[in-house]
Amino acid sequence: MPRLEQLAELQGHEDRVWCASWHPTKPILATCSGDKTVRIWQATNAQDPTKWQCVNVLEGGHKRTIRSVAWSPDGRQLATGSFDATTGIWERDEDESGDYECVATLEGHENETKSVAWSKSGALLATCSRDKSVWIWEVEQDNDFECLSVLQEHTQDVKMVAWHPNEELLASASYDDTIKIWRDDDDDWYCSDTLQGHESTVWAIDFSPEGNHLVSASADQTLKIWQRFEPGNPLGIVTPRRGEPVWKCVATVTGQHDRCIYSVSWSKTHGFIASAGADNTIRVFEVSSASAEAAGRLAEDQQKALNEPGVLLEAKLVTETKNAHGTSDINSVAWYPNEEHGDWLASGGDDGTIKIWRVVKD
Amino acid sequence: MTTLINQNPIIYEASAGNSTREWREDDDNEDAADPIDAQEVFDLIRSISDPEHPLSLEQLNVTQRDHIQVSDENNTILVEFTPTIPHCSMATLIGLCIRVRLLRCLPSRFKVDISVRKGTHQSENAVNKQLNDKERVAAALENSHLLEVVNQCLATATSGGVVANIVRGPAVAN
Repeated sequence: MPRLEQLAELQGHEDRVWCASWHPTKPILATCSGDKTVRIWQATNAQDPTKWQCVNVLEGGHKRTIRSVAWSPDGRQLATGSFDATTGIWERDEDESGDYECVATLEGHENETKSVAWSKSGALLATCSRDKSVWIWEVEQDNDFECLSVLQEHTQDVKMVAWHPNEELLASASYDDTIKIWRDDDDDWYCSDTLQGHESTVWAIDFSPEGNHLVSASADQTLKIWQRFEPGNPLGIVTPRRGEPVWKCVATVTGQHDRCIYSVSWSKTHGFIASAGADNTIRVFEVSSASAEAAGRLAEDQQKALNEPGVLLEAKLVTETKNAHGTSDINSVAWYPNEEHGDWLASGGDDGTIKIWRVVKD
Repeated sequence: MTTLINQNPIIYEASAGNSTREWREDDDNEDAADPIDAQEVFDLIRSISDPEHPLSLEQLNVTQRDHIQVSDENNTILVEFTPTIPHCSMATLIGLCIRVRLLRCLPSRFKVDISVRKGTHQSENAVNKQLNDKERVAAALENSHLLEVVNQCLATATSGGVVANIVRGPAVAN
């Protein structure tokens, strides 16, 4: 049975670690913390994955907790979202050994920024806040960022934003217990769908590798997997708004986490889902088509009446690592983004440390 | 002077002194793990000042020892509190004070859930949700003004039961 083997424990942050983000192409990790800094960690030995070093500390850029950090798709810039309501854009000095400097500060949110995310192409940046809004920014030349849209449809704090792996499609997770899908019509952004079903705050979301599924993590202690249904789909799921696909819940993972789940990551290489939260445990799931018993497929007429596909998928527990950060909450889990180290997982916790794990088969 | 939310709170007797727990054999053993129980948690929060009146949460019956559940082996604590009136807008602040007090005094292994006693507040779900959202709490505590108010309420927390001699509700002058 596979399990998570700990490769390294990275210490240095002086307060809880809120978020960890992998560089798109290199074994470099950016982490952010309640200590108002970002730390950049690098694997120092290609042959020994247990050797890591903190190569940079980004400080002075934010006056309060840095809640979210994300690398741009070309790996040249870092975006930081802070409780000080701003988003910082950082770039490295020309030579490899240079320090990072803050080249832009995006203002506009009325209170804490909770999450920042770059679209696949790198042309767009999304931010969200306790002010209930999602902002879409266009990345222009010379570190100019133009606000394209202020989306004000959630009724409570927006906890996280995540872009589709290929398309210019955005998902947002909220304290209002819903997930919203956003699309644009020639730079005119609108809410394409609202995913209801969770019974409490949705803390995190992530798309599947091909982008037709979305996994969500909630304070209701469950994970849900949602599937996209295009107009005219074979299951006959009705798509009420012209041309707009709908997203329906096709699986719910219950009875695993027994406290709030803060983070979820869907590996873009091997397809495993990792989740973690306040029960101190990291869990890894494998997704497959639902078996006959698990499916409990609704009778066809029932299905049509509810316009629901029923349980189409199941997520089987592959391994769980209890007390991954001792008695501390785990706030962030992130799979390595490409094949080179696809079996690596980073986690950040309330104990102020980051751990690097590897999936091993015994 | 601004009108108080609850101008005439009912005041209860605070039990004299501190813990009424009996001495246990392990008490003098430095190396024994110190199990936490409901009495200890109650002792930590009973003397927090109410934000509006010079009285403790115990004197106002906002907190009671029987409304605290502790599982030392599971590292979980549930604290329920009773706002003095159903539309009390101080409820979130009181809950935050309890949370901060326990955050500062208890071992970090504990997961603490705080909620309003069922049926005692008209927005209990909304209040509970806020009090148990770690991110909202963390952001609130970075607000220096709010932190100051919390600290003022906590200033009396170590006085063990009685904040002031029992007095009638404060005189209201408008």
